Amino acid sequence: MKKIHIIGIVLIAVALAVIVSTVSESSTYVTFGEAQKNEGSTYHVIGKVNLQKDFIYNPEMNANLFGFFMADTTGNEVKVMYNGSKPQDFEKAEKIVVVGKMEGPEFHASQVLMKCPSKYNGTEEERTKSLTSSN
Amino acid sequence: MGTQFIGEHLQYGKLGNIFIILSFTAALVSALSYAFQVFRKNEDPLSWNRLARVTFFIHGCSVTGIVALLYYLIHDHYFEYYYVWQHSSTTLQVKYMWACLWEGQEGSFLVWTFWHVVLSTVIIIRGKDWEAPVMMIMMMIQVFLASMLLGLEFGHVKIGSNPFILLRNQADFANLPFVQMPDYLSKLKDGRGLNPLLQNYWMVIHPPTLFLGFAATAIPFAFAMGGLLTNRVREWVKPALPWAFFGVAILGIGILMGGAWAYEALSFGGFWAWDPVENASLVPWLTLVGGAHVMLINKKNGTSLYSSIILNTVSFILVLYSTFLTRSGILGETSVHAFTDLGMTGQLILYMAYFTLMAIILIIAKRKQLKDPNEDEHVSSREFWMFMGMLVLVISAVQVTITTSIPVINKMFGTKMAPPADAVDFYNSWQLPLAVIIALLIAVAQYFKWKKSNGSEVTKKLAVSFISALVISGIFEYYFRFPRVQHVLLLFTSIWAFTANLDYLIRILKGNIKHSGSSIAHMGIALILLGALISNVEKQVISRNMLNVDLGKDFPNNENILLYQGDTLAMGEYYVSYKGKEKEGVNLFYEIEYFKANHGTGKMEKQFSLKPIVQLNQRMGNVSEPSTHRFLSRDIYTHITYAELDEGKAKADEEGYKEAKPHMMKVGDTIVASNSMYTFYELDKNIDKKSFELNEDDLAVGAKIKVTDVNRKEYFVEPVFVLRGSTPFTLFAEVEQLGLKFGFTKIDPESGKMEISVAEKQSNTRDFVIMKAIIFPQINLLWTGCILMFIGTWVAIRKRLIESKKS
Repeated sequence: MKKIHIIGIVLIAVALAVIVSTVSESSTYVTFGEAQKNEGSTYHVIGKVNLQKDFIYNPEMNANLFGFFMADTTGNEVKVMYNGSKPQDFEKAEKIVVVGKMEGPEFHASQVLMKCPSKYNGTEEERTKSLTSSN
Repeated sequence: MGTQFIGEHLQYGKLGNIFIILSFTAALVSALSYAFQVFRKNEDPLSWNRLARVTFFIHGCSVTGIVALLYYLIHDHYFEYYYVWQHSSTTLQVKYMWACLWEGQEGSFLVWTFWHVVLSTVIIIRGKDWEAPVMMIMMMIQVFLASMLLGLEFGHVKIGSNPFILLRNQADFANLPFVQMPDYLSKLKDGRGLNPLLQNYWMVIHPPTLFLGFAATAIPFAFAMGGLLTNRVREWVKPALPWAFFGVAILGIGILMGGAWAYEALSFGGFWAWDPVENASLVPWLTLVGGAHVMLINKKNGTSLYSSIILNTVSFILVLYSTFLTRSGILGETSVHAFTDLGMTGQLILYMAYFTLMAIILIIAKRKQLKDPNEDEHVSSREFWMFMGMLVLVISAVQVTITTSIPVINKMFGTKMAPPADAVDFYNSWQLPLAVIIALLIAVAQYFKWKKSNGSEVTKKLAVSFISALVISGIFEYYFRFPRVQHVLLLFTSIWAFTANLDYLIRILKGNIKHSGSSIAHMGIALILLGALISNVEKQVISRNMLNVDLGKDFPNNENILLYQGDTLAMGEYYVSYKGKEKEGVNLFYEIEYFKANHGTGKMEKQFSLKPIVQLNQRMGNVSEPSTHRFLSRDIYTHITYAELDEGKAKADEEGYKEAKPHMMKVGDTIVASNSMYTFYELDKNIDKKSFELNEDDLAVGAKIKVTDVNRKEYFVEPVFVLRGSTPFTLFAEVEQLGLKFGFTKIDPESGKMEISVAEKQSNTRDFVIMKAIIFPQINLLWTGCILMFIGTWVAIRKRLIESKKS
């Protein structure tokens, strides 16, 4: 057996091991409804924050608990409790991804990723405003 | 048409467009000329070469011209150009203006193209008979890169994105009436500005260094391809070797600068987060290190030719793939700092496919000449262990690539996979054992001789460093107590890698600087691994919030503390105090003082103060920037995670009370406020109406409330709910010492709850911050390692250059 064959076999074996471990460890993008069916398993949920409803944040009592209402891509709205302080400028996030699991009616998030708007695709008025307002 | 716009400077854009077209066509002509030079040997040997050089010169001048022009436009605030408006503003300091240049994708392609021009110039000057084949490949690369700036559109097909496009022609704004007004420019107040996170000195030097590293991977690739094309399938290795190590040094330092930036300016608390964008630049470095090492083997004994060609090709393709990942917007949900999609995905894929296919076809066509000499490496040879090291690096690269490519896999197969919930942990569990093997190989490999060595001799030579490493790691382990076996293994192997290389440098090389490159560089790598291990595993979040209620298993970490202005809290071995904030330009500086208790005098002694920043930015959102105090043996990192920014929002009445907050309470309930807690302990139905000056037929109920302040002093108040006829009102009760005013405003007969309103005096609510503080022990080992690695690689390159001059 030549060196090149050994290398080939080792690499293929490792690549397979990586793929298997990645697939088994990977989480899935789901809706709150799907996460609800499998209460307790960790998922990623993409959605929008409901800015009409108040945030739950009482730093005097607990600086590490932040709650808000978020609608997933199907429009299903759920209360999300996040273990951490309120992210700066949370109001401005266009889209957010929460990582965590459903616990009863609430989603307990261990991570909150925010995506801020980077394109100017608002209404005509908004786009004009982005040109005329200063910092 | 028709409209005459006032105040625009269109001549610059026209000049810029000429440069862009010129840089593209000149690159194309130069690539073709070099190709003719390579394939038409029997004619006048220099005729095509001359044309190729002239067109390269034109290409180089055009690229430099674009860079200079774009910088000039940014510097002088010509906001009629979309790129300038989008990436800069009048308030920006001059020192950050270069960062505007490469904030956008067009600019970063430009910097990359520029570095290729610089490196190609060196090839032309020093390349001799390698010039034509290497430059032919380089100029092909330049054709693709220059096309990224063309900004042409044919129906739905878009080629490149032009940095000189006018704001009023840009797709997002073109149809707005605002930009059709002749004087729109005078109404345009300012540019959108540079992302506040990028306004950092690391962002001025990190991107160009990284792009120089990217550009450097193209050269060994071009040598390999050029060698195959001209049937010099073995000879290319020697001249390409210094270039490969140049790439290793520059790309390595570029990646680590990114880490330094993340550590200093970003708030994720550490220098490496396995973020897709970081991974994308790490992977080509790993394969390039592997490639450079097998080239060394090849130079010594002629084997490993296939691996040399393949690894250099893979490194170059992975640089393109990394660009694809970060520029196509495909990372979307998985990365915090991915660029937006400019619609060049197809172009990037074509670019990758072209060079991948070219390499595959060339390797297959020349496979007969590529056969290794029939001897296999002996297990006791240096080359055997170097080869193993390369394999481990490749395995590491494969793991990082596959996991980072989850979004690409999703796109290709329509799956809905998300990255592992704890991605950092997942990467570490794979990479840690690989790092242990790498450290072990770094320690032992050089003690083996080329071809074959005597086992007992090797063992004897390694004994000193092995024993000293055992002792040193024993001390570290005694001090730190690492939580897992693999941590201890990496601790020992990385220390051994350091001592073994130091020993090799002193006893075998006898301190000969000229040959010390590899030892120094490997000592650097050993320190990087050691520093990363200790500062990561032993990092200590000292801002633990002890007062919190248990939130259950989902919410185990309470890593932020609330600190009121003027209060002092114990945090780890320190006491911290929030002194106040100060506004300077767009930055809010929060002054946090660190004290230690002197056990002798019992007094608090100030150690240092830190000023973490919250940068105010309306458009892109406020960002907070940590502040770090550096000791020799550890860093103390402090970061504002939350602060109330809109002050004065709550207006006070003439008595100094803010708007009252209503609380629905029932008997027995307790509520916590900023300076006290209050318990509604009894409903009082026997109100003495006379003492309250109430009418006989009024209905009155009192709420007996006990107020406890922070010193456990108790106060008793009784606000009264009155119903006169059908009109309800309340008699307020005050606790003047605490600045609290209570009212009993409503009774809800259904739930049996009562509404107690509480107003606090404005002076009660003090400013506060919520902060996080982390101790990173021994992180300076990591930075020292970076410097050693850079110096060592540089010494090694010098040695190779001197060697190649001699021959």
